[in-house]
Amino acid sequence: MKTRAILLAAGVAVLAAVPLMLPDGLVNAAISMLIAALFACAYNLLCGYAGMLSFGHSAYFGVGAFATIHAMNALGGAGLLPTPWMPLVGAAGGLLAGLVAGWFSTQRTGAYFAMITLAIAELLHAMAPQLKSVFGGEAGISSMRMPAWGLTFGSTVEVYYLTLAWVLASLVLLYLLTRTPLGRLALGLRENSQRLRFLGYDVHRISVLIFALSGMFSGIAGGLQVLSNESANYVVFDTSLSAAVVLNTYIGGVHAFLGPALGAALVTFFGYAVSDLTQSWLLYQGALFVLVIIFMPTGLAGLLALAGRFVQRHGLRAAAPGAGLYLLAGACYAAAAIFLTELLQRLFSQDYRSLAQAAGAWEWPAVSLFGREWPPLGVTTWLVPATLAVLGWLFWKMAAAAVGRLRDAAPADRAPAAGAMTERRLT
Amino acid sequence: MEHLAIPLLNGVVYGLLLFMVSAGLTLIFGMMGILNFAHASFYMLGAYFAYALQGAVGFWVAVAVSPLLVGAIGVLVERHVLRRVHRYGHAHELLVTFGLSFIIVELVKLFFGNYPVNYRVPADLDFAAFTLGGLDYPAYRLFMGIVAIGMFVAIYLLLSRTRVGIIVRSAIHRPEMAEALGHNVPRVFMGVFGVGAAMAGLAGAVAGAFYTTSPNMALELGVLVFVVVVIGGLGSLEGAMLASLLIGVVTSVAVGIDATPADLLVWLGAGDLAQDAAGILSLKISSLAASLPFALMLLVLLVRPSGLMGEKE
Amino acid sequence: MNAPVLSLHDVRKSFGPVDIIRGVSLDVGGNERHAVIGPNGAGKSTLFHLVSGQLRPSAGEIRLGGRPIAGCSPQAINRLGLARSFQITNLFPRLTVFENIRLAVMRPRGLQYCFWRLADRDERVRDRGIALLENVRLSHRASAVAGELSYSEQRSLEIAMTLASDPRIILLDEPMAGMSREETRYTTELIREVTQGRALLIVEHDMEVVFTLSDRISVLVYGELIASGTPEEIRANPRVREAYLGEEATA
Repeated sequence: MKTRAILLAAGVAVLAAVPLMLPDGLVNAAISMLIAALFACAYNLLCGYAGMLSFGHSAYFGVGAFATIHAMNALGGAGLLPTPWMPLVGAAGGLLAGLVAGWFSTQRTGAYFAMITLAIAELLHAMAPQLKSVFGGEAGISSMRMPAWGLTFGSTVEVYYLTLAWVLASLVLLYLLTRTPLGRLALGLRENSQRLRFLGYDVHRISVLIFALSGMFSGIAGGLQVLSNESANYVVFDTSLSAAVVLNTYIGGVHAFLGPALGAALVTFFGYAVSDLTQSWLLYQGALFVLVIIFMPTGLAGLLALAGRFVQRHGLRAAAPGAGLYLLAGACYAAAAIFLTELLQRLFSQDYRSLAQAAGAWEWPAVSLFGREWPPLGVTTWLVPATLAVLGWLFWKMAAAAVGRLRDAAPADRAPAAGAMTERRLT
Repeated sequence: MEHLAIPLLNGVVYGLLLFMVSAGLTLIFGMMGILNFAHASFYMLGAYFAYALQGAVGFWVAVAVSPLLVGAIGVLVERHVLRRVHRYGHAHELLVTFGLSFIIVELVKLFFGNYPVNYRVPADLDFAAFTLGGLDYPAYRLFMGIVAIGMFVAIYLLLSRTRVGIIVRSAIHRPEMAEALGHNVPRVFMGVFGVGAAMAGLAGAVAGAFYTTSPNMALELGVLVFVVVVIGGLGSLEGAMLASLLIGVVTSVAVGIDATPADLLVWLGAGDLAQDAAGILSLKISSLAASLPFALMLLVLLVRPSGLMGEKE
Repeated sequence: MNAPVLSLHDVRKSFGPVDIIRGVSLDVGGNERHAVIGPNGAGKSTLFHLVSGQLRPSAGEIRLGGRPIAGCSPQAINRLGLARSFQITNLFPRLTVFENIRLAVMRPRGLQYCFWRLADRDERVRDRGIALLENVRLSHRASAVAGELSYSEQRSLEIAMTLASDPRIILLDEPMAGMSREETRYTTELIREVTQGRALLIVEHDMEVVFTLSDRISVLVYGELIASGTPEEIRANPRVREAYLGEEATA
């Protein structure tokens, strides 16, 4: 318990120090990471806690965003509220949208529910370009942050601290929400909504309330994004944002409160870092997501927790070789996959194909990758990923053996198998 | 009258196309309880495979082979991916198919580029079937409709008249019992998934030549297919047919209407209401056409939650 | 008790051409412990589903405290004072035992939409939950995960959750299944104690429990009540012996 408090405090301290350590460009990235983290945690209230998989959550983010931008432009540009209070408008928008959409969606469960949420988001996406006064058409709507409370809000740093304050406050509220009776009922909904009926609960009403609250916090995230970008565009209703929040949340781990925040922050960060280097970033994201779902349903947070328990049980020195080998194995597999994907991506690109056609069947030019030239018909080109994959397999076997030895040495412990990561106790 | 005939015909053909894709989805759901998010990407793969093969083996062979390839992929997906997550429950299966749909779209972008490809109607089918109101009606549209109807008849006969069909239907209703009777239910699942995928692939192979073949086609159709199964009722082939035709016709007819809902109100005699109309009511119905299916879906949910022909949950 | 708290009149239920319940009429008084026995497949669980709102009767009337409840939703029926347990374990598997009982306790306290107070801080809810767990001898397992309890522990939790809403009538569907003799004896006494001043409708196969616990017994065979009366009357009834108890004697 104490370690957790210390870790949290350290984390907040680091976040507070970010603008002092990083250049403006990266501070912008940090703002995006914070917003994505909040959106993911808001989504997880519905998905991880209440067990309702929504595939159209960008709708509530977007409604919050547009509500905020209109509030910013209201009263001749002066803004409906002082700038620091603007996300409240996003909250109101998200809450309202969540109430209405939730009322429809929660009439059904499971797959039907998922489809309805998707269709509602698509409805907005289809109608938004037509309602130019509300959604601004192709160019969107722009605005300007107004000074308030003695600050101009012109600099990225000020926006960062505003975002950080709202995200932290919202996360605290979300966490407290999960500890209220309604929050406990969300878990009941996920585990056995039928039994809740027999205990006298109006399951539909409870579901709508939870949906609306999830929408509210999503709306805050949308409002924060609008404050940061000073613009809102209807592409926010695209399925890509809805898909991204699903991926982020599950990659991070749905059973830990901060899991989605972790996943969103990491994925957003990598997106920033590598999107210039590769065209296939989305493919990697999707592959990571599928791997997590199949092999590690508790996500990265679950993996960290597992590793933590493992280290606790066996001590850092004993656990290090096994953990290190697993990491090495993972790195090799990842390297092999990335090499192969980047190679294929270049081979099949339009530029290369025209070059190849001009050069004739056996004279295909070399592909430039990672600073070297790789002839497509050369053996080394294909040997590299193959060797990496084999190395990865070897390291994996060695890691499993090392962990197995540790476990045999301490048989009284009931350590969970590395492969089967099902979560038994959930809070 | 002619003004209505062509959009109506277009709507029926488009609806039949929607049915080809949603039939597989509704069968898979009815049998396995899995909502296959990747179903529309099978549609897309059908189009792309046909496009890729067309250069080498010609249009007709490509259209025949492409669904088989997609069906094979479907079988592989069921065997190696879906079965692994089966024990975690339906939510995980849903998420896996969602992830797969994502990956398939990205792979298509990788291999074929993030832009539409030049998959076109072959010359021998590129003629006008007849003329209506001064406009030529493309024969290919009729071809698509015929393929869809042929597929519906084939599936219907297969399910209701053959031994395989009986086994499949029993596995839908009572998988444990079917297995106890000695039928290899996992293999039946694999087969149904593969056939469903192949159906979507056939739809893609045929439609991709007429409509645009691009990485976006999976998403555009995918959402509509979901709307179809919600309206028609999951698990009901007849419901899927009804809902597909409904959506196809309504969308096609609406696209041709340049009037606005405000005009409609005037026509109905509620002119005063129309006076104050703003926002949605002053938009042309043709622009709203894309949103109509979703509005219909919400309406059905209000009035008849289990779908037009679905069973009560 | 004059007016029965639960009364069924000519209740029928068919699934398509198959008649499961063929005209059952039954009254349970406010203080009465009423057992329903019968061979497997007689329709006992279906009867429970009809009374608790899971199924709608094809015909006939069901009244709770005089109010018609046939076809009402399970939550409405629960709020009118009827609580049931389930034959197939129907808990919240990945939550702790304490969380399970807390969910049952919160609703009678009116906390279903409360998102402004912390659940852990509510002492009355906590105390009531622990008291219920103590009654069924599960308080030492409060932090165990419900899905990992032994079968009989899960039955006990089911009973505790059923009692949480302080109902007028309790429906228990084979509460003793899987229990040892000692556990059965304890649970029978527990049921007798907590059903003071309440009505009880219980389905059980353990004849010793049925005959010691119940004030009246009804015998359900193929969807029809072939007999209904005090334990002595049932024991002496030749039709019952033939249809049901006769099989028990030779088994």
